[in-house]
Amino acid sequence: MDYFIHLAILFAIYGILGLSLNLVVGYTGLLSVAEAAFYGVGAYVTALLLVNAGWNFFAAMGVAVIASAAVALVIGLVLSRFGGDYYALASLGFGVIIYSIFLNWQAVTNGPLGIPAIPRPDFFGYVIGDEASYLVMSLVFLLLVYVVSRFIVRSSFGRAIRAIREDEAAIQVFGYRAINYKLLIFVIGAGIAAIAGALYASYITYIDPSTFSVNESIFVLAIVILGGLASLRGSLFGAAFLVLLPELLRFVGFPDTIAAQMRQAVYGVLLVVLMLYRPEGLTGEYRL
Amino acid sequence: MSKSKTLWVVVGILIVVVAVVYVVAGRKAAEKNVIKIGWVGPLTGDAAAYGEPMQKVTELAVSEINAMGGIDGKQIQVVYEDGKCDGLDGANAVQKLVNVDSVQAILGGFCSSETLAGVPIATAAKVLMLSAGASSPSLTNISPYFFRDYPSDAAQGKVLADAAWNMKHWKEVAFIQEQTDYAKGVYDAFATEFQSLGGKVINQPFSSNTNDFRSILTTLRSQHPNALFVDVQAPLEATRILTQVQQLGWKPSLLIPDSVAGDPPTIRENQAILEGALTAEFGTDPTNSKFEHLVSSYQAKYGAVPSYESYAQTFYDAVYLLKDGINAVGNNGTALAQWSRTIKDWQGSSGSVTILPTGDRASGHRLEVIHGGKAVPAAQ
Amino acid sequence: MSILPQLIANSLIAAGTYALIALGFNLIYAATKFFNLAHGAMATAGGYAAFFLLQSFVGINVVLAAALGVLFAGLLGWALDRAVYRELRKRKASNTVLLVASLGVFTVIQAVIAMIFTSQFQTLSGGAADSVYQIGGAAVTETQVIMIAAAVAIAAGLGLLLKKTLLGKEVRAVSDDEEVAKIVGINTERVIGWVFFIGSAIAGLGGILVGFDTGLQPTMGMSLLLRGVIASIVGGVGTVYGAAAGALLLGFVENFGIWKISGEWKDAIAFSLLIVFLVFRPQGIFKR
Repeated sequence: MDYFIHLAILFAIYGILGLSLNLVVGYTGLLSVAEAAFYGVGAYVTALLLVNAGWNFFAAMGVAVIASAAVALVIGLVLSRFGGDYYALASLGFGVIIYSIFLNWQAVTNGPLGIPAIPRPDFFGYVIGDEASYLVMSLVFLLLVYVVSRFIVRSSFGRAIRAIREDEAAIQVFGYRAINYKLLIFVIGAGIAAIAGALYASYITYIDPSTFSVNESIFVLAIVILGGLASLRGSLFGAAFLVLLPELLRFVGFPDTIAAQMRQAVYGVLLVVLMLYRPEGLTGEYRL
Repeated sequence: MSKSKTLWVVVGILIVVVAVVYVVAGRKAAEKNVIKIGWVGPLTGDAAAYGEPMQKVTELAVSEINAMGGIDGKQIQVVYEDGKCDGLDGANAVQKLVNVDSVQAILGGFCSSETLAGVPIATAAKVLMLSAGASSPSLTNISPYFFRDYPSDAAQGKVLADAAWNMKHWKEVAFIQEQTDYAKGVYDAFATEFQSLGGKVINQPFSSNTNDFRSILTTLRSQHPNALFVDVQAPLEATRILTQVQQLGWKPSLLIPDSVAGDPPTIRENQAILEGALTAEFGTDPTNSKFEHLVSSYQAKYGAVPSYESYAQTFYDAVYLLKDGINAVGNNGTALAQWSRTIKDWQGSSGSVTILPTGDRASGHRLEVIHGGKAVPAAQ
Repeated sequence: MSILPQLIANSLIAAGTYALIALGFNLIYAATKFFNLAHGAMATAGGYAAFFLLQSFVGINVVLAAALGVLFAGLLGWALDRAVYRELRKRKASNTVLLVASLGVFTVIQAVIAMIFTSQFQTLSGGAADSVYQIGGAAVTETQVIMIAAAVAIAAGLGLLLKKTLLGKEVRAVSDDEEVAKIVGINTERVIGWVFFIGSAIAGLGGILVGFDTGLQPTMGMSLLLRGVIASIVGGVGTVYGAAAGALLLGFVENFGIWKISGEWKDAIAFSLLIVFLVFRPQGIFKR
């Protein structure tokens, strides 16, 4: 039962990541491979504030969201100029640079040694220490993110970013400065990803750079593509499926040494098969 | 059914399947006549070179104890988890052992990284952690629920720094240091002592998956240090670095940490370049009868002598220490934690074990020199 | 300054490695206009194929094993095109879809190699000592000399191939405009097949040489690929000279960068170079 709760918490975290990336990739059509960078900024800022400064978890999360958005703003100023494949490659580049900072700016992040002993959240005196209450909290955040995403998508802002996805040149003719919208959605996506980062940090109580590598960005991309581009429900399906998949594989009984690689192989095959036969994903409205 | 309904059904079925599997699996494991103990160590990856033999040593000790009736008539069952010598997996391993297997004591981690990440989790759950290999000075006094029967690297660094300054009269030592808790601990201990003596240390850290050290080595060499400290986590990496040192035509005086010195094949393979190199090990005493018993039993059971004798002895002792603890105060994390600080002059295969209030073992590393492909005690 | 020759030598060696990857990558991009991220896996596959041969047939001639490894990599690349990319092109998939699919392919190949050969580090030389030459104050091993020589030879050879041979002309025609080439009667699929074969074979050679120089690891493909991508874009996507120039610049910037900034920032330095070019000169050094 406890292990099941563990999986559910992971589902909530990846669900949030999936939703945030879908806003950028699915709705705006920008292939960003930098998700893990903002996930990581959120995790590290939260962890540092909790461990070094004894802050309240929710306040720390707030700061983490702002920090992540700020980093996204800086990167986005450069990134938003590009389109298509160059956007993807440049975002990959930024992802690597940020990962490098996590790994090497040891004075702040402690490098590969990581940050241990991250405390669990304290909600007005009640410590959310056991797994079940943590799950409840995570699901609450997931719901919040879902509602916010839906709001964005249904607003006129949402229509604008969809228009950018369909034909960026055309929308410029109508007086919309596409670059501003691309920047804004990128920043919003990064802020949401930071929420997931904060949840992750306090849950596992230990973070190190390895979680926030390019591979992780690819994993979240797989969630979004599988679930369906521009489908919020799809991202939740994608997250649930890909979180459960390793457990099913474990059930099949691959020896431990192979299990991790098998998982990677399955993700890869999934991406290829999806591109070949269903590029819009399970419930998506858009194909890349 | 509409498309999205189908999907919810599919996901729902998946969830139910996984849930059933785990409930069933969990029920099977609930046996009453067993004392479950956790074990965390690197079973995969470069450090598996250490983790696997140490798992075998643990198994050896456990089977001996079980054959003699176990503890209070109950058999010991060890749940082995792969810490992969990194913090994240160490944390996950400890979390699983604490939450899913409900152990009261964990043997582990082996690597300092696994241990540093896992101790806070065990402490919050009031579970004891006993490490037979983690040597980072950061673990000293980290938690009342942690202790180790392997000495801290503060000893290793200090011994080597003293030898470098007083015996070899070196003024500047260059480090090529892998970014892991263990290697950093060794560096910190050495640098603190060496600098307080008046020496200078330069360091080029590298991340663990680096294979091309040439530019790093070139940069270090250009500063004309008196010696090079190859501070790595696993022996294979030392060979890679030493090969490239040779290719660059550099012949510096060398220092190596005990992770390398404890691996005889690596020492033999690089014996030409390592001749005269300084190292420090928590050595073994071949005249110790328990140690002899360990070696011969291991050989009988597995058909080879145990690799890494320094660790084999502490791993063997750790199981017996835990047995004595559970016998004395019962299988309870808090009781065991309090008991651990009372360990004084406990006789094991690694000699006399005394645990300090900080959780550290009272004793340390000895200076050694590589000579003829072997690590031998140095003449002081 | 006594280490200058060594730094220059290190830069040339790195440039040689990157050039071997970039040349193939560039060639494939020129002909198909998509960024084949699976390219890095070709290098890994070539290296491990040679490793497999050397392990299984003790005493086999090293050059023969290497040649077979190169052949294997080329065939693998060709097969991937046939099985995956060609299908996608038939469905008029966008370049982004191909990019994502190639990402999936890369992940699968890397995982399969890790499963078969374990994630442990392996060397092709089997520990045999490499002769070291002292050239102008720098120490260079035999393998490294071969690497630089191979890069130069292949760059020149590729240039000649494209200029003088019939296939080369066909490749250039396809690169200029695939539709027109088809109209003129060129079997574009066959030409693209050749392009994948040649490009992947060159990458395979790169992987094998790296295997001799530093060693093999299943994850080496990603970092080689990323360097190849940087070299290609910086040098000018789609030109042979571009790949060579980009590789040279990258090699020097990285190694001299390490000298001034600590070695751990190598990745960040490489990607910063990419970002700088993307911002200020996206067409690269040599325009098409």
